[in-house]
Amino acid sequence: MSAKQRIVQVLGAATAGALALGLTACGGGDGGDDDGLTTVGFVAVGPEGAWREANETNIQETFTEDAGYELKYAPATNLDQKSQIDAFTSFVDEGVDVILLSATEATGWEDSLKRAQEAEIPVILLDRGIEPDDTDLYVTRIAPDNIAVSTAVADWAVSAFPDGANYFVLEGPAGVSVVNERNEGFDAVAGGQANLVKVGAQTANWSTEEAKSVVETVLKSNDNDVQFIFAQNDEMGLGAVQAVQEAGLTPGTDVKIATIDGTKNALESLAAGELSFVAEYNPLFGETALEVVEQVLNGDDVESSIVVPSATFDSPEAAEAALPDRKF
Amino acid sequence: MSAHAHGPAEALKALVRRQYFWGIVAIALLLLVNLVKDPGYLAVSIGSSGNLVGNVIDILRAAAPVILIAVGMCLVVATGGIDLSVGSVMVVAGAVSMEFLSGAPDTPGSGLAALGLVVVVSAALGAVNGVLVSVVGLQPFISTLVIMLAGRGLAKVITGGQNTAATNETFRWIANGYVLGLPVVFLLALLLAVAMGLLVRRSALGLMLEAIGMDPKAARLAGVNRRALLFTVYILGGVLAGFAGVFATASVMTVDVSRTGYQLELDAILAVVIGGTSLAGGKFNITGAVVGAILIATLDKTVVFLGVSSSATPAFKAVVIVVLCLLQSERVRRAFRQRRAAAARTPEREALAA
Repeated sequence: MSAKQRIVQVLGAATAGALALGLTACGGGDGGDDDGLTTVGFVAVGPEGAWREANETNIQETFTEDAGYELKYAPATNLDQKSQIDAFTSFVDEGVDVILLSATEATGWEDSLKRAQEAEIPVILLDRGIEPDDTDLYVTRIAPDNIAVSTAVADWAVSAFPDGANYFVLEGPAGVSVVNERNEGFDAVAGGQANLVKVGAQTANWSTEEAKSVVETVLKSNDNDVQFIFAQNDEMGLGAVQAVQEAGLTPGTDVKIATIDGTKNALESLAAGELSFVAEYNPLFGETALEVVEQVLNGDDVESSIVVPSATFDSPEAAEAALPDRKF
Repeated sequence: MSAHAHGPAEALKALVRRQYFWGIVAIALLLLVNLVKDPGYLAVSIGSSGNLVGNVIDILRAAAPVILIAVGMCLVVATGGIDLSVGSVMVVAGAVSMEFLSGAPDTPGSGLAALGLVVVVSAALGAVNGVLVSVVGLQPFISTLVIMLAGRGLAKVITGGQNTAATNETFRWIANGYVLGLPVVFLLALLLAVAMGLLVRRSALGLMLEAIGMDPKAARLAGVNRRALLFTVYILGGVLAGFAGVFATASVMTVDVSRTGYQLELDAILAVVIGGTSLAGGKFNITGAVVGAILIATLDKTVVFLGVSSSATPAFKAVVIVVLCLLQSERVRRAFRQRRAAAARTPEREALAA
């Protein structure tokens, strides 16, 4: 087979692959809205963890046909921004009434948002913000406040380690707005404490498995001299617990681990004393979103940022009290 | 190793000529960098439970899943194909086992049953690849791309979109346990890799795979059963990926449907190429693939150990890989040799003239 033939074949294969991807992205884009329902396009993140699951299920259960809505749910393919932009564009072309957007990545949304604006489709950001944060491009952002939540973690760390500590941060993927905000809130408090020493930070991509591998190496590179691990989500915190246990240390006494999100698994782990602090990042704001959508469709003005209140859990008892009616 | 080597000196020379030699050099260099940062990096001590503990042990454990998928990929690439579905087969295997174990009692029996289930499911996915490639005659790139996309979707369906967790001591032991002080995962991965190596190199199987990769027509005329061999190779690749999925999920006993095995097909291809297997097919080296897999694990661990920032991590890895590929390239090496020879000749000539 000549080299030329091979190149042609590979190109053909790549094109076919791209087509296949495009087709899956467009699927489910049809269906009329002649039945008097308000069409809502939800550009979602998709499977990422228990938190996201709770959040997106809550949205889906709020915007029901009984409430007068037809929700078109478009989760991203493997957290890929391109698949989100494709879904967003097809919602604009279809002419849905409102678009809800949870962006997997903060940057690169200007063009898409401008298209929606030209088509006079209001866009409401759920949870994830965009960068640069141009409030002219969207109606409002409904989210729990990441900065306040991570500040709560830092405040707890300051009070839990009066004699100081070495700490490590498990971050989400670089460049995501959540990660930047959780760092910002945490660093604003912890950075000002001379006795809290940051030994490093590394991404574990929100994943339990990667977090375990990262913490395993971090403990070795610091001769187990780490007293506090701040995991930016529950899944990574649970991975850190396993790594700490395998290093022969006791999570909760030798190494205290704080996480953000407040999923059921994390609260169970807190109740068992493995985690030391869990800051909730409340995912159940479907009702708020519904109210905002109604206001926007009525032409009312809404605030450009709406904060969803969140709780914190700092003891096994607090976790046990909250566990029975935990929805996520 | 070369069969012609007679003494240790010749064996060493044969090793240097191997492409994966540069992979070994790269591993050594990365370890050296870590050693500079912390002189105790290579120290392996005996932990509280009588097992070996150390950074090197961590690397071996992290390398285990990559070794398996790299070995499978190596055989597929030898036939001139490629298997993009390994990462997705991993997540399906993880999903199947976690979903099964979350409803099963915590006994060694259910652990083994989960393992059996994984073998069946991953072999079935491999068989779909095999049918598409060998019977239908589709391009391997397309066939396995289909399973790559469908597989992750399948995993989401199996777990209902959730990251499922389960408890089973036997299953957990596979990824976290120790035998003779060494991690079980690494021993298993090595055992499977050696078994594969012996299977294909001690029989004519390896030659036949290479024959298909070199020239399918000539191979058929020579009486090689192309269809059956391709079928076998894709099934083997699937089963090995299934085991890799077990290793990855059992380490934390949670399957993460969007992250488990994500983009690991690229790691596998990289390991295979570092090991000196040509993507054009017709030639393969299993030892090389294992070296490549260990290199990738070393690289991942080094990034964390050195504390390279999250945003710079991909760039750091890319630089290491590019430098390694340049070192392996025959053309670059020749250019270096010529320059060195030229430099050596000039003083010689000057000496003669004097």
